[in-house]
Amino acid sequence: MPVQLMTSNLSSIRMGTGDLAKYPFLNEAGEYLRESGFGWEELDRPDMKDIIDRAAERIEVGVGGNIYDKLEKYEIEILTFIVSLIMVKSIGMEPVLKKYALSEARRAEEFLTQDLKQQSEMQKHSLFAKIFEDLFKLKIEVAEDGRLFKVRVADYLARSSHFHEQEWKLINRLVQGGHVYLDADETVRLVRNELSVLIYEKVKAMTLPTLPQAIKVKAEELRAKLAPRYEYRTSAVTEYPPCVKHAIEVMSKGENLPHSARVMLATYMLAVGKPVDEIVMMFQNAPDFNEKITRYQVEHLAGMKGSRTKYSVPSCEKLRNENLCFATEECNGIINPVQFGRKRK
Amino acid sequence: MIEAAKTIPVVRGAFREYYFKQARAVEEPGKIEQREFGYAQFGQAGMTRHLSFNSIKELHAMLVKEVPSDVYCSNAYYKFPTQPMQEKQWLGADLIFDIDGKDLDLPCVPSHTYPVCTNCGHALPPSDEKKEYSCPSCNGKKAERVSIPCSKCIEGSKKEVRRLIEFLTTDLGMQRDNIYVYFSGNNGFHIHIGDSEYVPLDPQARSDIVGYLSGTGLLAESVGVRKGREGNMSFIKFPRGGIAYGWRGRIADKLKIDGSSIIKLKHIVDQKGGYAGFKSELDKMTREMGVRIDPQVTTDVHRIFRMPGTLNSKSGLAKTRCADLESFNPFNDACLLGGNKVNVRVKTHVKLKLKGEAFNISKESAELPAFAAVYLICKGLAEAM
Repeated sequence: MPVQLMTSNLSSIRMGTGDLAKYPFLNEAGEYLRESGFGWEELDRPDMKDIIDRAAERIEVGVGGNIYDKLEKYEIEILTFIVSLIMVKSIGMEPVLKKYALSEARRAEEFLTQDLKQQSEMQKHSLFAKIFEDLFKLKIEVAEDGRLFKVRVADYLARSSHFHEQEWKLINRLVQGGHVYLDADETVRLVRNELSVLIYEKVKAMTLPTLPQAIKVKAEELRAKLAPRYEYRTSAVTEYPPCVKHAIEVMSKGENLPHSARVMLATYMLAVGKPVDEIVMMFQNAPDFNEKITRYQVEHLAGMKGSRTKYSVPSCEKLRNENLCFATEECNGIINPVQFGRKRK
Repeated sequence: MIEAAKTIPVVRGAFREYYFKQARAVEEPGKIEQREFGYAQFGQAGMTRHLSFNSIKELHAMLVKEVPSDVYCSNAYYKFPTQPMQEKQWLGADLIFDIDGKDLDLPCVPSHTYPVCTNCGHALPPSDEKKEYSCPSCNGKKAERVSIPCSKCIEGSKKEVRRLIEFLTTDLGMQRDNIYVYFSGNNGFHIHIGDSEYVPLDPQARSDIVGYLSGTGLLAESVGVRKGREGNMSFIKFPRGGIAYGWRGRIADKLKIDGSSIIKLKHIVDQKGGYAGFKSELDKMTREMGVRIDPQVTTDVHRIFRMPGTLNSKSGLAKTRCADLESFNPFNDACLLGGNKVNVRVKTHVKLKLKGEAFNISKESAELPAFAAVYLICKGLAEAM
């Protein structure tokens, strides 16, 4: 039984219930549930235990960084999804919500990619292009060769610039005539973050009804299980990243260090918890050293003076653009010098 | 900065006359009421910022009244342009680029660069010697290197502008008439993009554009060269989209390969000493083929940027729109001050050409038209008498 989409500009398109199972975050899924006259109290019924267990499993798998890959009948999927949202909300832990939202996004991403790849079904094709436009305001066109997709450079950048892998940098893409050319996987990857934000915000905006006992108990159980993972962990810095080492070296030789490199050095030292006095003395070999000025500047960066904004360490990308990056193998995968040596393998 | 008591009134007078007579040359920015303005004044350190004007007429009135040394306007749009930075409510910013002649490392530069003592203002003629500076007049150890750009400098900057336009119109698909090129008023060009598509982009996205244009970070994999299992081993596998366009196309052209040249490319890689050797060769190529733009200007979305049609106190020339880049000559087309005679003391032997008139001044005192006198004063090479 196809369900009529409610959004006006998509009104001519009908979405199958199979699709709702894959994309339960679409408004139509909730709509479907409402139409079927489902009530919360029903979740306390013994035969609903399966749904609640599924929901708990779905959360646990997601928070563990994996994707829940079961795909059942749409009634079950939609219910499981909604119960998962309620449980995540009731667990009330930000990192759990974030991880869960991301895993839901990645799950949907897999389905979307498969659907986009079904090139022969032109109708389906345009349907998903419309989903992108409707949910994420992202216009997608099929490229001339019928194999790739193209998006406007500005639309691409607005999303990709927050990805950290080098291959997502514009320079490593096929760019022509104001478009970036992507394959199905890449196109969907581009909106993963928005998918996850969509789910995140859905949970944030929820107001919980009085929960059925069965859900309450399960959510508590899950919370007790997940909480220890998020206890605060610290690690000491044993070695400075190569960009910082380079700056210290230049400084110790009494050579001039460009302003942007000094900002990097100071913000890095602040970030690893070095006291202001010690940081100031790191600059004493600078040809233009003036303790008073340096102290003011370091305190300014620390957010103790002036605008009271605490400055963060410039990103690896920014440093690369300013020729201050001296990356080594050990930098692999980091996006900011403060992560050097800290990233869990 | 111009300081001497007699000198400031001369320069200021010439600037005032310009703003009085040629106010129309000052371009009205789009959505003027959402912009932040700022200006600097002669003989004063610092800048007056966070100003707002509701119309270009209001701005003209300020120019004639205050006669600023330099005038700036935000490329950003704000809901409350006069509030402190944190409360302005950023709405977007035009995409801008800065090409500065002094960043191009041109070989002609030493031959027209004058060391001017930062302590006493004493100027020396250009010299190729690399020895440490010591002022013959006051023994000061610090000098500002003042350059009088020559035609080669301007041509060098124009070359970068052309390259930038090529990238913007082919790769980024911008319309040529949405790209506004301005002479900066001293030794470079400012490029303003009129395309609203780029207005919402944050600094990170702009930084990615800078990386693209300047040729930073192209992976060997993007042109089909992949790392093999061991150390420096490599194999060829072209990316799915092919290597016909954009940077991939540029590199393919340079290496004289296309999407079928697997063996040829493998051969090139081996010749360069494997994956690592090829990668460093690739870095060199992209740096040479990229555009030298100032990354800070493009990525900073809260900057105030020199306003088109206003005068630059580093030269007395105006930031001027280049209707035709090829024929544009800043020493004619941006030299817009008047010709009243001014007596100046010239600090060292200088040669320059302005408004079609060649000046070769070896005497200490000279009577010069205001546009030339102001140019030398702004450069720190002359004082009013």
